[in-house]
Amino acid sequence: MTLWVPLLLPLLGAFLLLAFKSYRVVVRTALAIGVVEVLLLGNCAWKVHADGVLRQGRYLRADGLTLLFLLNLALIFVVVLAYSAGYLRHIPKGRFSSPRWYYALLFLFLFTMIAAYLAANLGMLWIAIEATTLASALLVGFYNTKGAVEAGWKYLMVCTVGIAFAMFGTIALYLAAVRGGIPADAALDWTALMSSAPSMAGARDLVKLAFVFVVVGYGTKIGFVPMHSWLPDAHAEAPAPISAMLSAALLNCAMYALLRWNAITARAVGVGFSHTLLLTFGALSLLVAAFLMIVQRNLKRLLAYSSIEHMGIVALGVGIGGPLGLFGAFLHAFNHSLAKTLLFFTTGRIRDTFATLRMDRIRGMGRAIPFTSAALIVGGVAIVGLPPFGLFVSEFAILMAAFTGSHYLLAGLMLIAFSIGFGALLYHFQRMLTGEPKAPHTVSKLPASEVAAICLCSACLLILGLRVPLAFVSVIHGAMAVLQ
Amino acid sequence: MMLAVDSIQILLLIAVAPLLRGIVSRVKARIQNRRGASVFRPYADLWKLFRKEALVPPTASFLFRACPVVLFAATVAAAAFVPVLRSSSLLGNTGDFVLLVYLLALARFFLVLGAMDGGSSFGGMGASREALVSTLAEAPLLLGLIAIAIVSHSASIASMTQWTIARMPFELSPVHAFAFVAFAMVIIAETGRVPVDNPTTHLELTMIHEAMVLEYSGPSLALIEWAGAIKLTLMFSMLIALFVPWGIAANLSFFGILIAVVAFLLKMAVLIVLLAALESGVAKLRMYLVPEYLGVACALSVLAVVFTAFAR
Amino acid sequence: MGLIEFAAAKTLASSAVFLFITVLLIAATKRTVACIALFSAQCGIITAQIVAVAFLRHSGEAFAVAIIVLLVKVVAIPYVLLRIANRLKLSPNVTAATTPAQSAFIGAGLILLAFAVVQPYARAFALDSEMLAAATAIVLTGGLLMVSRRMALMQVIGLLVLENGIFLLAMSTTFGMPLVIEMGVFFDLLIWVLLMGVFIFRIRETFAHVDVSRLRRLRG
Repeated sequence: MTLWVPLLLPLLGAFLLLAFKSYRVVVRTALAIGVVEVLLLGNCAWKVHADGVLRQGRYLRADGLTLLFLLNLALIFVVVLAYSAGYLRHIPKGRFSSPRWYYALLFLFLFTMIAAYLAANLGMLWIAIEATTLASALLVGFYNTKGAVEAGWKYLMVCTVGIAFAMFGTIALYLAAVRGGIPADAALDWTALMSSAPSMAGARDLVKLAFVFVVVGYGTKIGFVPMHSWLPDAHAEAPAPISAMLSAALLNCAMYALLRWNAITARAVGVGFSHTLLLTFGALSLLVAAFLMIVQRNLKRLLAYSSIEHMGIVALGVGIGGPLGLFGAFLHAFNHSLAKTLLFFTTGRIRDTFATLRMDRIRGMGRAIPFTSAALIVGGVAIVGLPPFGLFVSEFAILMAAFTGSHYLLAGLMLIAFSIGFGALLYHFQRMLTGEPKAPHTVSKLPASEVAAICLCSACLLILGLRVPLAFVSVIHGAMAVLQ
Repeated sequence: MMLAVDSIQILLLIAVAPLLRGIVSRVKARIQNRRGASVFRPYADLWKLFRKEALVPPTASFLFRACPVVLFAATVAAAAFVPVLRSSSLLGNTGDFVLLVYLLALARFFLVLGAMDGGSSFGGMGASREALVSTLAEAPLLLGLIAIAIVSHSASIASMTQWTIARMPFELSPVHAFAFVAFAMVIIAETGRVPVDNPTTHLELTMIHEAMVLEYSGPSLALIEWAGAIKLTLMFSMLIALFVPWGIAANLSFFGILIAVVAFLLKMAVLIVLLAALESGVAKLRMYLVPEYLGVACALSVLAVVFTAFAR
Repeated sequence: MGLIEFAAAKTLASSAVFLFITVLLIAATKRTVACIALFSAQCGIITAQIVAVAFLRHSGEAFAVAIIVLLVKVVAIPYVLLRIANRLKLSPNVTAATTPAQSAFIGAGLILLAFAVVQPYARAFALDSEMLAAATAIVLTGGLLMVSRRMALMQVIGLLVLENGIFLLAMSTTFGMPLVIEMGVFFDLLIWVLLMGVFIFRIRETFAHVDVSRLRRLRG
């Protein structure tokens, strides 16, 4: 019961919301369902923390890894919901572009991500990840402008091709598992695969082939270079809260899938192969994204490339391995989601005030919208990895793991990429924040919900930067234990 | 005895050819919701044409009257290659498939010569179009036959048929499948049927074969029409003999021959209906698309040849 | 039931050939409707294969999968595609970067490439190399369609052909995955086609064309 209800509630809520017409009723119902959902997720997390592993039926399962990511999802969803309540007054009319469709699709999106986290079976995981693409495509194209439609099209095409590759990888692993003696109807089950993984060593070539395809496939959803072409477009053209959901929640969801696969492959054919692949993709994403950040002109595209860079860092952390590397990777995924959400929330107000997101046309933010500028500064400092915010701790952990594991080249590359990223962001933000505000600009009233959402994100980042709470550390250790 | 059967085979082909054309037209008419002419109309046409006077353009040379005769002779000689009732034919064991293809090419060459000799602009236009189509159609035809020859380890049509009979029915090999599709596409091009050429049109934009024979009249035209009908019959028979020959008489018993005749008529009937349906359902291709059509046939036949390397 | 098993075995043995022919014709076709019909025929051949497998292994699950494939891929998805093609009112021709004959030769090349790639795996796992090669050739043809065709609907068909190939790979190696997974996969595919339809119409509304090679506003 604990697992079924939080899974099905967003789905039912989505359909329920489609039935209403009035804007206020929709917003209030959505908020109510959202609060209930978060409470249910919290309950589920509490049970997992107490009992270890929860199983329900053949297809639902929650363990330590699920716990960490579900907490992440719940937190992001709370702030996104709060922000959306004030944001929706901007939405133009269209066939799928009304507030009730927004909330319905948002809940559908949430449903698919929870389904991915609770999947006990690699096949169900695949179905859920594909469903996240489908659920979020209409959200990406929400504004129905030329850019949004093109971005939505590219997103659907590229991600579906990638997921098709992941399907091939899943099939190859299924074949290897069946050949290795696992009974056919349990050959995609996580627990069965983890316990019988060494028996697949006979088909190691097939397992390696499967993992390569899965890295390419799920890597497309994560945004690894060179499969990243959809990411800047989709994150830039979507509405601000949806960009936050995409960057913060969806990329983590795809990374979660890759982590599960990494664990199985490492058990079956040894740690070297999978880690090498992850390190390659991570380093490539990190460097390419850092360089591309310098030449960006659109604020949201800049933030999207920053997401690619940070996902590269997470992959590097997992690839370097060891307790410190893995800890750093998990903490980094969590911190990055908070910081990126914060930054995307500021873009909404910036666009509202200056009617553009081109950074060379925005001047004098500091004087026109002081609260948002402060939020932007906080987010910017956080995202480049400076103390006192959380990303400093996680990046430091990963760097230390690199140095202690003698990955000197990697550590050097990371430091270079961090510096480049820092320089790019400093340059762009400084130009936007200083100077005289360019006309025309209108300053509208700042909704309280937006203030609350931004303050919550900043507070969490600060806490995680100053002193990671012990309870949270134990959650991360639980997640790490699942993957060993 | 064998000689007698083989002679009957070729006489049958020659005699039945106009009937085949008549049946195709009748079925096509029925599909298009018309009543259609009698199936024996081509015989009546031939009878009429043989009794008429042949008019020769004043600028034509001796070629103009000789070409229909050569065309007819070459087509009949080609018809001697094809096994119908028995897995051998009059020339089936002496000549090979290359000779067959080039006998047909000889026939076509003389038709083109005669058309150009006639001196009219339609003749020249039809000749150039026909030259294009036949050049492009030769490659898939040869390659398809080569593929089957490689697989059956022989060069004569008769032994190819014997090899195919010795295999199990429903033993579908990629070589045969590709060669079959390529062959079917080439047959449509070689015999001048929709979608490559419309045999009943007289519009300048769409004529290929009809343009070449526009100047002919009397017995010459009769020979050309009859040769065209024989060509259609012989290509269909070749298709049946190479790909679905089961039913052909293994020995010379009366019963075997009877079954062979019935089987042949059944398969021909199926092919006729398919051809009529195709002609009624598909529009004629524009001239610049015909090379593309034949290019696809060529790709299929190339694949057939390459697949012989994988044959098990 | 000797006759049925014989027929099933023959179906399995010969379907690879038909699939190769559909691969070539899909690459070479010049009309959108013909492409959709060929896709439907390809799915029909795959359904026949699944039924043959169901008979040979006496598996009720395989029957269920066959019925789902029939309903979703042979009937529902081509119907949706045809409706989209009709409502778009575009020219019936496929604008391709290559002529039909060239595409046919490229398709033939892909088939040979598929055979070459598949040989080591077929030997290592004792599988039927013809079926594996057919599946790989279908995947490659789907990729070819996606890359060389400019109309948005053709890209959709290309990806559907690619998924067809991957599904065939699954079937020929493992004789099918658990039923629930298969159902989820097909459901996803159907929803994807519907979403693509929505997006194609949106592209048409905002851009006034459906030529994806001209969607180049977002770069860099």
